[in-house]
Amino acid sequence: MKKRLFAVLLAGAMAFSLAACGSKEEEKAAEAVKEAVEEVKEDAEADTEEEGSGVTLDNIKIGFVHVSDPSDMGYTYNHDKGTQKMKEDLGLRDDQIINKYNTPEGAECETAVRELAEAGCNIIFCTSFGHEDYMLLVAEDYPDIQFCHATGYQAASSGLDNVHNYFGRIYQARYLSGIAAGLRTETNKLGYVAAMPFAECISGYTAFYLGAKSVNPDVTMMVGYTNSWNDPTVEAQVAQSLIDQGCDVIGQHADSTATQTTAEANGVWGVGYNSDMIAAAPNAVLTSAIWDWSIYLEYAVNCVVNGEPIAVDWCGSYEEGMVGLSPLNENTIAEGTQEAIDAASQQLLDGYEVFSGPLYDADGNVLVEEGDFYPESGEASAPSWDKIIDGITILG
Amino acid sequence: MGNIIMNLIVAAVLAGTPLLFGTLGEILTEKSGNLNLGVEGMMFMGSIAGLAGAMKYEAVAANPSGSVAVLVAIICAFGCGVLGALIYSIITVTLRANQNVTGLALTIFGTGFANFFGEVLGNNAGGYAAVGDVVKAGFSNVNIPVLSSIPVIGRLVFSYNSLVYVGIITAIIIAVLLNKTRIGLNLRAVGENPSTADAAGINVTKYKYLATCIGGGICGIGGMYVSMVTCSGIWVHNCVSGKGWIAVALVIFAIWRPKRALLGGLIFGLLSIMRLYIPLKIPMQIYDIFPYIATIIVLIAISLRRKRENQPPASLGLAYFREER
Repeated sequence: MKKRLFAVLLAGAMAFSLAACGSKEEEKAAEAVKEAVEEVKEDAEADTEEEGSGVTLDNIKIGFVHVSDPSDMGYTYNHDKGTQKMKEDLGLRDDQIINKYNTPEGAECETAVRELAEAGCNIIFCTSFGHEDYMLLVAEDYPDIQFCHATGYQAASSGLDNVHNYFGRIYQARYLSGIAAGLRTETNKLGYVAAMPFAECISGYTAFYLGAKSVNPDVTMMVGYTNSWNDPTVEAQVAQSLIDQGCDVIGQHADSTATQTTAEANGVWGVGYNSDMIAAAPNAVLTSAIWDWSIYLEYAVNCVVNGEPIAVDWCGSYEEGMVGLSPLNENTIAEGTQEAIDAASQQLLDGYEVFSGPLYDADGNVLVEEGDFYPESGEASAPSWDKIIDGITILG
Repeated sequence: MGNIIMNLIVAAVLAGTPLLFGTLGEILTEKSGNLNLGVEGMMFMGSIAGLAGAMKYEAVAANPSGSVAVLVAIICAFGCGVLGALIYSIITVTLRANQNVTGLALTIFGTGFANFFGEVLGNNAGGYAAVGDVVKAGFSNVNIPVLSSIPVIGRLVFSYNSLVYVGIITAIIIAVLLNKTRIGLNLRAVGENPSTADAAGINVTKYKYLATCIGGGICGIGGMYVSMVTCSGIWVHNCVSGKGWIAVALVIFAIWRPKRALLGGLIFGLLSIMRLYIPLKIPMQIYDIFPYIATIIVLIAISLRRKRENQPPASLGLAYFREER
């Protein structure tokens, strides 16, 4: 083995010295070398087209880095469900999938991604916003491995062609779920437990509010931040505070079900997120804005197997089924909710833009002109709407 | 306005209860002269043991009842907290190792212990570990006939889950034990000056072991509060997340008095949820600093005033070598 390694090294050194000589010699020779190299390259490309990348569904290894674990019954649970669905649809085995649960958005993330790369993964998915920087660090060192990051925005600007972002037009599902909330509320005051004051959350709750407002012009909304993607204790406290201040339908953009169970304990309503949360709070949840991540996972894995490039920014829509609404809870919804949502759903399929003008901020400044709209997730896959519109107040 | 204050107080009590348990356990421990920095670890151990116990009870019992589940969870959490404290006691009291290092190790051990078994429980349950509705109901707010429906008072005093009352009763029992009984007097003597206590015929080792282990058990109940009440009976990775450390700070805030721990728990609970009720238009991170600033101020105040009754037990943190008397 050592001998062989030495031989390879020697060969490499020789090739290098040859190339060095070549560059010193006449241009003609250099051109000849160039041509030869290009020929070889073309041959190689032809080869890969014929045989694929050597990766097949039988030997592909897939890595996942999650910020929490499926016990959150929300984001990670649901993303994991996407993984399971992909596994079934593509006929993969358990040992082809490696999950790294409970990976904080810090240096631990770099270690986790590196471990996955070293374990032989061909494609690695990082699913939390703060994982992106650490994933980029590792992606540089492993150009043959594909890295996909949900909710991020840096793939296009990273200059690495093995890094990709993916997300979905969840704001469309939020808009629809907002209709259920707008029809249900009796105090005309909605609450919303949001994780971080970032565009991802702001875009989501603005769409939720716009949905509610489309059926209930008098409705207002209070938003409380938890400053963490998954902290059930704080989520419950924020939800309690919103309820104490008169909100009677609580939406959420946080990973766990704590918001919904708090709504249930207080006898008010809620709108879940990520997965169908009716089981967690059967007397509170109206519906949930949900994801089907398997659509992207299957797409990306198939790309690797077929040797095709993965889109730099991929954004699934309501039409494709990447985002959607869980079945309405007949025990809790207001009358006419189904009809109103069906109508709005048709509008969305016909191309209605959620962020349509006129939209104003609290001081009356125009954010989006009448007749115009904000092209949310137009270029990048991650949401970019980060303005607070009139009718929404932020807690604290 | 009155409503806001009432909501604020109710939320503060709920947020402060796990801190109260941790603080009470650590006060009892420190009164024996043992500085156990493993509160966080013991709370973690209690949190997973309480949840596992409640789940097991639910699976085994033919007709599970909420209040029995609470009892089972308390016993399991207490037992597991005792186990953690026992490890600590053997290492520091019998083997006389450094208390700080041992406590820190216990924190790391307990955190890993709980997260490991949390994951095992989750895998066995096929996804995540959670209790059913009946058990959950046992940990929900009590409804005492007549009392709970008194306006204002009913909400402020008689509307919490049963563990809040367990916490208050524990505080009173410890206060009485420490200040009104011979056992308490002996325990305080052990914490202040073990060689004198030893000379007076008090079994120092026995007192140190018992106080530390019972204290650890009480910390464990605090952890169980987090997994069963705050997280509504679902195992959440890292759920205790620093409450044990705040409890250690609270011991100083309470200047080693159980009754002041009640006040301290309430204030720290209040500080942790204040931003949600009282908008001050400052960045929310500033709110998160408040409990720690309060601790620093108390530390400065007690070291400036140097009142003898406000000082920590004199032998706190020191191992007792009988041979060196």
